[in-house]
Amino acid sequence: MAELPQGGRTRVSEVPNAGRVHQGPEASGNGTTPLNGRAVDRGHAKDLFRRFVETRNPALREELVGLHLPLVEYLARRFRNRGEPLEDLVQVGTIGLLKAIDRFDLDREVEFSTYATPTIVGELKRHFRDKGWAVRVPRRLQELNLSLNKVVAELSQEIGRSPTVAEIATKARLPEEEVLEGLDTSNAYAVVSLDAPAGGEDAPAVSEHIGVEDESLEALEYRAALGPLIAGLPERERRILYLRFFGGMTQSQIAARLGISQMHVSRLLNRTLAVLREGLLEDGETG
Amino acid sequence: MTSTVHLEIPASGAYLAVARAAATGLAAQLQFTYEEIDDLRIAVDEACTQLLARRGSATTLNVAYRLEDAELRVDVSIEAPDSSRPPLARDTFAWQILSAMTDEVREQSEAGRLWLSFRKVGGRG
Repeated sequence: MAELPQGGRTRVSEVPNAGRVHQGPEASGNGTTPLNGRAVDRGHAKDLFRRFVETRNPALREELVGLHLPLVEYLARRFRNRGEPLEDLVQVGTIGLLKAIDRFDLDREVEFSTYATPTIVGELKRHFRDKGWAVRVPRRLQELNLSLNKVVAELSQEIGRSPTVAEIATKARLPEEEVLEGLDTSNAYAVVSLDAPAGGEDAPAVSEHIGVEDESLEALEYRAALGPLIAGLPERERRILYLRFFGGMTQSQIAARLGISQMHVSRLLNRTLAVLREGLLEDGETG
Repeated sequence: MTSTVHLEIPASGAYLAVARAAATGLAAQLQFTYEEIDDLRIAVDEACTQLLARRGSATTLNVAYRLEDAELRVDVSIEAPDSSRPPLARDTFAWQILSAMTDEVREQSEAGRLWLSFRKVGGRG
């Protein structure tokens, strides 16, 4: 049965992991790595590496890059459905390749492609993490989302309450249809700054409430699986969960209290719930 | 005037986005605010997820959206062989979420079917 989409929203591990990916190019088992119809001659590559390690000649480095570009392209294609042009991804992957070339130690009894794959994949993953989008989001939707965030914040300020879709559409000069699309996207994809360390801006206020919150949460006989999940949440997430579901506060009120935007509260809330539900449906899958 | 929209989706978490999107569009028609829509989406997610967790061999999940003046009522249901057990106990976190996000929650099980329903009034800022 297919997995909850929310799972993908929060888990960077959805990204094909290096271990799995590198079996691709390595799987052939003979002396060459067939990629893209081109083959890396390993004997030639070893020779180049030997000379590069000795001389650090940039020309050799460049040749090594060219030789292994098909590996980068192969790995970059794994990430191509995430709304980034393939050529950009190849460029990002090439940074990883360069790092791997500079660090490669010939004494290691390992093929260069095996050695370089985790570095290249790591670079690609970091690229998506830094951009804040863990899953594929077309650029148009990313931009739509950013502009909606702004409009919602401004409107809330102006009218003193959360705006309706019609109001957002008027202010953003967009068809309602597009605003709806933006709303649909916001929590399905946004992980922007969610991984910021907890206990930042709201840290001082947390301690005074945490006891009460835990009591409320523990008073519920939630599934055995849920207890540890809630306990494992960062303090701020747990606090938002409590204030929204037990404290009867609206997202805007929580936002004001924590000094963050309402959209940010929404994202944190949705992501936290996604994490909790993930455990639940996994239960459902097996039970 | 009451209008009703019926949605039948495969009993898989992968289709929750469809149930959410439908709720979003309908709530916008009712002039729900952004926050109310967000609450509604959370409630739809929660109700569907809870029933999916009980799906057994069920292959479809049914969601009915009833639009009244400023109110949306959502009935989620799934076929379940063990409908002797209620779809969701009231001392669960999920029930708490549903109650906090909506104006009224109900659960029902009858003749091999489990139901979770809720009502949300919109346009209150």
